[in-house]
Amino acid sequence: MNTRLLALVPTCIALNVAMGKIVQELGLPIYLDSVGTILVTTLLGPWAGVLTGALSQVLTALLSGQMMWLAFLPIQVLIVLVAAAAAGRSGFRTIVRAVGWGAFCGLLGGTLSSVIAYSLFKGVTAPGVTALGALFRSLGLSLERAVTLASISTDLVDKGIAFGLVAAVLLALPARMASRFPIAVDAVGRRA
Amino acid sequence: MTPSAPGSLVARAHPFTSLTVTLAVVVLAFLLPASIGPVVLALLAIAVAAVVGDPASLTPSLIIVVPLWLLLLLVQGVLGDAPFTTWGPLTLSIGGLDEALAQGARLTAIVVASMLALRGFRASRFVDAAAERRWPFSAAYLVAATLQTIPRLRQRVTLIRDAQRSRGLRVQGSIVQRVTALVPLTLPLILGALADTDDRAVALEGRAIAAVTAPGARRTPLAPPVDTVVDRVVRWGSVLAVAVAIIWRITR
Repeated sequence: MNTRLLALVPTCIALNVAMGKIVQELGLPIYLDSVGTILVTTLLGPWAGVLTGALSQVLTALLSGQMMWLAFLPIQVLIVLVAAAAAGRSGFRTIVRAVGWGAFCGLLGGTLSSVIAYSLFKGVTAPGVTALGALFRSLGLSLERAVTLASISTDLVDKGIAFGLVAAVLLALPARMASRFPIAVDAVGRRA
Repeated sequence: MTPSAPGSLVARAHPFTSLTVTLAVVVLAFLLPASIGPVVLALLAIAVAAVVGDPASLTPSLIIVVPLWLLLLLVQGVLGDAPFTTWGPLTLSIGGLDEALAQGARLTAIVVASMLALRGFRASRFVDAAAERRWPFSAAYLVAATLQTIPRLRQRVTLIRDAQRSRGLRVQGSIVQRVTALVPLTLPLILGALADTDDRAVALEGRAIAAVTAPGARRTPLAPPVDTVVDRVVRWGSVLAVAVAIIWRITR
C-alpha cells in the first residue's frame, strides 16, 4: 500500500464522519456521509474508494454503537462505481454536471438502500428518511412504495449535493496539489 | 462516548472477542426465528451487559433504541395493514405489532452488543492485537489513524464555523441559507484536510513506512493484549452459534 493512500484514506474516512457534524449543525435533513468516499475515488481511483467506503461504514457502525448499519455497505461500493464512472467522463468539470451524476447515483443508491431498508429493517432506519417514509405511508402508499420513495428522494438530494461539493473542491484544488492526482485532473476535464 | 472502566470485563477482554461476539449478535438477530429468537437474544444481551459486562452501556443504548421502537410502532403498528386491534385510544395492526416486536428486539440486541463492544474498544490494544496476529501494518494503521483523525476534524469543523460566523456567515435561517452555508464550511475543511495529508505522507516516509509495509515485514508489539482461554472459548462459541443458526435456516 503506497504512502499517499495510507495518508489520504484515514482523512477521507474522517471527512465522512465530520460532514455529519456540519449537516447536524446546519440542521439539514441530509447525511453527506459519502463526501470522503467520492473525493478519494476522484483522487486515487476506485480501489481507494472501496477501501475508504468499506472502512468508513465499519467504523461508523462501530463508533455509533449501531452495527446494523453494516448492511448498507454495498451502497458505498455503488457510490464508488458511479463516482469512478463520473471521474472517467469528466463528470466533475462543472458543479451542475457533478450534481447530475450525483442525482444518478442517488437514484441507484436510493433504490438499493430501499431494498435493504425494507427487507432487513422493515422501513425503519435513520430518523429523517423513516419520518419521510411514514409520511408517504400515511398518504396511503404501501410500505414497500413508501420506503422506496423516501429512500430515493432523500438520496437524490444527498448525493446530488455530495457530488457537487466534491466538484467544488476539485475545481478549487491548487494546480500544484492537483497535478499529483491525475484522476482528479481528468475528472475536472483539465486535460481535455 | 465514555469508555467503560478499565477493570470491567469488556475492557479486559481481548479486542477480537468483543468484536466477534458483536458481529455474531448482528447475524443471529436476523437468522433466529421471529419473534421469540430476537426477543430472547435482546434479553440475553441486556442481561450480559447489566450483570457481567458494563451496566453503564445500557443508558446510551436506550437513547438509540427508544426512538427506533417508537418509529417501528408508528410505521408498523399505527400505519400497518388490517386486521386491527384497539389499544387504548390507538387502533393498531396486529401483524404490524408482531413485526415491530421482532424488529425492535433485533435492533435492541444489536445496539446493546455494539455499545458494549464500543465502550470496551481501545484503538491501541486493537492495533497491538492485530500486529501480534501478523495482520498487515497498513490495516492496523488505517484504523488507528482514522480514529485519531476523526476528533481532530470534528474540532476543526467548530473552528471553521466560528471563523466564518465572525465574517458574517449565517448558519441558521431558511433551508436555502443553510444549504448555501455548506460551501464556506466544507471547502476550507476539505482543502485543509488534503493539505494535511501531504505532511502526514512526509512524516510516514520519514519514519521508514516502506520498511514496515514491505512484504514479510513484522512489527513486534511491546505488550499485546492477553488472549485467554475464556476469550477463545467465547469467540469460537459465537462462530459455532452462527454456523448452527445458518444450518438450521437452510435445512428447516
